[in-house]
Amino acid sequence: MATDPTISLKIRTALAEYLKRDPDRILVTQHLRDDLGLDSMAVIELLYRIEEAFDLQIPDQDLVGLATVGHVVSYVEKRLGKPAKSSKPKSKKKS
Amino acid sequence: MRARVVVTGLGVVSPIGIGISDFWKAALAGQSGISAISSFDPFPMDGYRSKVAGQVRDFSADRFIDSVHGERVDRYAQFGLVAVKEALADSGLQMAKENPHRVGVIVGAGMGGMLMGEREITQLYQQQKPHRVHPNFIPVITLNSASGIIAIAYGAKGPNLTISTACSSSAHALGQALHCIREGRADVVIVVGADASITPLVFAGFCSLRALSSKYNDYPEKASRPFDRLRDGFVMGEGAGALILESAAHAKKRKARVYAEIAGYAATSEAYHMVIPREDGLEVAYTMKLALADAGLTPTQVDYINAHATATPIGDAVEVKAIRQLFKSRADKITINATKSLIGHTLGAAGAIGGIASVLALYTGKIHPTANYDDPDPACALAGLSRSAQERRVKVALLNAFGFGSNNAAVVFKQATAEGRRSKG
Repeated sequence: MATDPTISLKIRTALAEYLKRDPDRILVTQHLRDDLGLDSMAVIELLYRIEEAFDLQIPDQDLVGLATVGHVVSYVEKRLGKPAKSSKPKSKKKS
Repeated sequence: MRARVVVTGLGVVSPIGIGISDFWKAALAGQSGISAISSFDPFPMDGYRSKVAGQVRDFSADRFIDSVHGERVDRYAQFGLVAVKEALADSGLQMAKENPHRVGVIVGAGMGGMLMGEREITQLYQQQKPHRVHPNFIPVITLNSASGIIAIAYGAKGPNLTISTACSSSAHALGQALHCIREGRADVVIVVGADASITPLVFAGFCSLRALSSKYNDYPEKASRPFDRLRDGFVMGEGAGALILESAAHAKKRKARVYAEIAGYAATSEAYHMVIPREDGLEVAYTMKLALADAGLTPTQVDYINAHATATPIGDAVEVKAIRQLFKSRADKITINATKSLIGHTLGAAGAIGGIASVLALYTGKIHPTANYDDPDPACALAGLSRSAQERRVKVALLNAFGFGSNNAAVVFKQATAEGRRSKG
């Protein structure tokens, strides 16, 4: 699935800051726990940063399935809507 | 026969130095660590009655410790980690050679993770966004965050406890560690006292309690003046002290250098008032007597007292009254000092740092000065107090620590045997 380069970069940058490494070394295919070594507490801290970066609230039930960097990018894209579609999906989610 | 317990390692983070060497050099020189608080950004200091504190300047945890552990905890626990790192290295103890279940950690902390606590509470109330409370808030403010992270950092799987009795917290930590080893529940206990709560809310709270010095805001180094006629309250400090306690047999087996023996401890409550001590000093005297009895000693054997001496008008007078009651004519033959005159009142860290000063007095025969003891208050004059460093062979030292909540502790240290003092692990 194609990803929004801006959203992807923002998430990889947040991860890179957290892990103190180069954003270029964070790949969307990487598994948060197995490849990046994040424990469950670290994943929660990361999502906290992402909520702030994108002004989102991520409900508990959405945490399931956010296993890779790509999953997080796709999730944020879905919540924000495709770049061209502005906030329409967001309002749909609310309804 | 119960196990004897000895002190084999020391570490400190204080307003007069990070590391025992710097701390002790500054302490013997009577150097003050009290300075003006420039601001509680973004609060100006105008609204605060007191504007001075014993602050640990230029502290950056990652200069001293592994960021994996330091980043997850508040400043007080970072202080604790740094002090423990030094104390363990000083002791020569190698965790890889120890049975981890026989190594405990006991921390005394009065306030805990208040930096993050205050920040998060303020944001929540201002922004009303509960989902923006940091996920690490609870683990950071939970009062055993320091004992937890220290055990995690060093793989210490023995008893892991936190004692919070305000200003006497780490004196009790020392005493509980003594009992723990005596009773055979551990070979080694890493004892820590730590606090870092010079924060907008806590500082304001102590100001409102009228407990802090406020007359010396323009002369910070003069503000902490225990036993002096012109004392007007305590000066807040921050820091951490760490002491490695182990059974004498364990220390001997690994040929460790022994600083001193920790020989006795007593814990009592005055059951009187949350913040005011009993004026007759009876309970303080009783606590010191109990601790000496626990050590198998009598009041006639005490050479040195590291006094609680916060510089509040009532507290210092009560402590001296109690010393006179218990030691009678010997009271004026005992050398006495107040570590808080140099670094302020480090709350939960005070017992551990006072313990370090006591242990170093036993080990080096040097007793640091009591700063600003310029005009002895007749209500608390004792011949053994001095503005200068004193030298004396100390065989028995007594550490006093009293806390809000009507809480008293006393700890007795003895000079180590010549054999222990010579060894170096």
